Amino acid sequence: MDTVQDTGARRTVKLLIVDDSNIVRRRIERSQQFDDLQVVGTAANGLEALELARRTNPDLVTMDLTMPQMDGIECITQLVQMKPEVRILVISALADKATAVEAMERGANGFLNKPFTDRQLNEAIAELMY
Amino acid sequence: MLLSGVDRNRRLLTAAAGIVLAAVMGLVLIAGFRLATQIRANVGTLQQASELEAYPSAISEQLTALRQRLDTLEYTGHVHGELASSVRGFNRDFTALEHQKGIDPTAMRAAVALWTNYTPVLAKVLSYHGEPYSDTATNSSLSRSGRVFYAHVRRAELFAQANAAALHRELAVVSASLQARTAAAASRLRWLLSGGVLAVLLLGLAAAYLQVARGRGERAARDAQDQTRDILATVREGFFLLDADYRIGAVWSQALTTMFGRGDFAGLTFEELLRDKVPTETLNTAMKFIKLLWGERAHENLMKSINPLGQLEVTMDNGRGGKETRYLQFDFHRVMGPKGVKHVLCAVGDITSSVMLTRELHEAQENAHSQIDMMVGMLHSDPLQLGSFLDSASAGLKHVNAILKEPARTHAEFSKKLSGLARELHSMKGEAAALNLMSIAQRVHHLEDMLAELKARSELTGNDFLPLVLKLDELLAHLRGVREMTLKLSSLREQPSPADGTLSTPALRVPTAGPEELASTLQSLAHKLAEDHGKDFKLALSGLAQCPPAYLGMLKDCLIQMLRNAAVHGIEANEVRRAGAKSGGGQVRVDFRRVESGYELTFEDDGAGLSPEALKEAAVRKKLLSEEQAAQLDNRAALALIFKPGFSTRNEVSMDAGRGAGMDVVAKAVYGLGGRIGVSTNPGRYTRFKIALPALGETAVA
Amino acid sequence: MLREEELKTFVDGTTRYFEVAAQQPASIGSPYLLEGEPAMHDYTGMISVSGKREGVVYFTAPRAMLTVLLMKMQESDFSHESMRDLVGEVANTISGNARRDFGHDFVISVPSVFAGEKPQISQPTGARAFVIPIHWRSHSAKLVVSLT
Repeated sequence: MDTVQDTGARRTVKLLIVDDSNIVRRRIERSQQFDDLQVVGTAANGLEALELARRTNPDLVTMDLTMPQMDGIECITQLVQMKPEVRILVISALADKATAVEAMERGANGFLNKPFTDRQLNEAIAELMY
Repeated sequence: MLLSGVDRNRRLLTAAAGIVLAAVMGLVLIAGFRLATQIRANVGTLQQASELEAYPSAISEQLTALRQRLDTLEYTGHVHGELASSVRGFNRDFTALEHQKGIDPTAMRAAVALWTNYTPVLAKVLSYHGEPYSDTATNSSLSRSGRVFYAHVRRAELFAQANAAALHRELAVVSASLQARTAAAASRLRWLLSGGVLAVLLLGLAAAYLQVARGRGERAARDAQDQTRDILATVREGFFLLDADYRIGAVWSQALTTMFGRGDFAGLTFEELLRDKVPTETLNTAMKFIKLLWGERAHENLMKSINPLGQLEVTMDNGRGGKETRYLQFDFHRVMGPKGVKHVLCAVGDITSSVMLTRELHEAQENAHSQIDMMVGMLHSDPLQLGSFLDSASAGLKHVNAILKEPARTHAEFSKKLSGLARELHSMKGEAAALNLMSIAQRVHHLEDMLAELKARSELTGNDFLPLVLKLDELLAHLRGVREMTLKLSSLREQPSPADGTLSTPALRVPTAGPEELASTLQSLAHKLAEDHGKDFKLALSGLAQCPPAYLGMLKDCLIQMLRNAAVHGIEANEVRRAGAKSGGGQVRVDFRRVESGYELTFEDDGAGLSPEALKEAAVRKKLLSEEQAAQLDNRAALALIFKPGFSTRNEVSMDAGRGAGMDVVAKAVYGLGGRIGVSTNPGRYTRFKIALPALGETAVA
Repeated sequence: MLREEELKTFVDGTTRYFEVAAQQPASIGSPYLLEGEPAMHDYTGMISVSGKREGVVYFTAPRAMLTVLLMKMQESDFSHESMRDLVGEVANTISGNARRDFGHDFVISVPSVFAGEKPQISQPTGARAFVIPIHWRSHSAKLVVSLT
């Protein structure tokens, strides 16, 4: 769990990446192409994500669904309660549409299928934040 | 049909024009009426004024007439009465005129002043009562009062003569001023009427224009409506709007009729539309999905991938009385109104052909992949190993078909087949996977899945087995393909190496993995074989690291085959081992070492050993030997039968059939490298193969 | 590769005949792949298919089954000709079903009927025959589908 201190000065979009896979986390971090987007933290499960969200106050969260300890659905539910204005982009390989729809019901704003291209990721972020 | 903004404006304009028209007409009427009333009053006054003009001279004349009567001593009563009447009349009319408006005030004041002077003079004349004459028999003369009267009359006459003209003049001015005023009013009325008519005309024109424009607008709207209808009747997609209660709106496209086999869409709920077509689970998810569109959080563009109705399989009438499977794609879009989401537009497309195309492409790709995959698998494994697998797989599938062929009519009978089938397929899958033949392993896996699904059903009929037999057919076809390719590959491999001829390394062989990998492959294969066949044995490897890379591939192929044979035929089942007083699990030992002449491989299992008699029988059964020939073989020669091409110890249709085969192929590979192979056995104790390979660069003559 | 729907169409055509003609549905047994020579019962009705698929589909039934079927159909004529007619009818129903479901994709011949003698069935190369046992009352017949 690594964090970047919130500078708070510029109006940047603060991104929190939640995924239990190192590879995916790095992939998202590397692929985003926005100058004013700042990755404020990465978390490997729902509990870590909530803790980090409390500390870093992110604007956008990319959220995996199947994770150990606390899964994405539960994390989304609590995150939306805690910070109703946060934007949540689910990034998951889940083939089960019912769970995907449930994630949206709980308050996710969008859904991106794994595997995704850089372009798909950037378009999704743009759609949610700009 | 939507009422366009332009059209609405036009209607408002027309209504406003109507109101303005009515108002203008009303105003014109009121003003005209007032003017007319004024003119009428003026005309009356004018009449009075012109009548008044006559009075001064009349009064003058009457006074003169009165004086003359007095001169001639004539009767005066009549003239006196007329004069009184004139004065009364003038007084009346003049007073009336005094109160009229619009009269030249100077003239009127002058007239009033003059008349005021008249009044006392005339009053003396008019107030006379009595007899002016004193009558005698012969003569008449003025009486005393008559003389006074005469004097009054004379003075009045003179006054009147002096002033009549002036009074007349002033009255004429008054009259003229009245006339001018009336003329002005009349002219105003004329203008007003002309203006009113013009205004009415203009407004009429405007109204007419607007009416025409409105008609044009309505026609345009009607045209637009027609066009919308035409589009909806022709478009191949199904379109409809859903309201917040998930009900379909009144407008929908005709294509829905064929897609859903009904025509009563308006007012239908989305749930009712799909209830019989979609599994409940999917429908529930779909309803939740649509609900998300009415909410604010979800982004339409970022939820397309989770649309549960993105590809929906439905059964439809094909128009010939039969049924066919089609694929529908539902797309949902928000329709925004001023207060957020107004409707959800649903577009339904028939994507059957594209689904089919994708599927075919996918199959083609899969085929290509599996071919490549197969090639790679085949290149990694040796033809002898592959051949033995294919034999056993074909035999396994034969067995599968035999199980299917057993008659069955009841659920119990069908159900009983399932476990037998599962057993056959499971071991086949394991072997295919061990040989890296993923295309085969996947197909078998799919069959296993189908079995598992059938197992869960409470009622089984022959119908449920139809897909199974189709899949079986596909697998057999695939195996045929693999076999054909094997033949092609082996013909390639058997071409002599053009370089130094030291190795019959196949031209197509991919670099073989190192000794460590070989060791782990063998260990995992041993593990799997033990599991599959319910045997308990350990594999001990030594010296593999000394194997030169050039021999590794061949070594691997041979060891896999021998390990398989050992696991299936050599090592006994646990019970048998216990009965034979053997210690615990079996032991398979592999030893590779450098020797003076080159390399030596020892492969030994402490299993049942080989029985020369059984081998001879098998050879006879396979028609490799006649019974007489077999009888003449000693034990050593009998054991050597195992290396004879086409030899297999078992012949039944079973999963294990064919697995005994393979030593002939191993031997061939060894001979190909210029090596030798031998076997020794102690029935009930062990089987030991020894393979001698030449040192590299000093190939022995084969 | 034959698709499940296609196989089902032929199977349904067969079972439907029993249901309609004898008011008693037939059930299908465990299907399998034909190995070796086709197994023929006493009477066989066959259609050949060309177009999108090539091959033959035939229904072959023992005399005993056909006799009972005729009885159930209130027929009193159990002659050789009646039996031939009957298997021809079944083949006809199968072909009708196939025409309905596949339309112009398939060109289907007029049924031909064989009795006793081993018919000359030219199986297309590369096509494997699917055997679907048809059980009706205590009798069994076979539907054989061999299409590329």
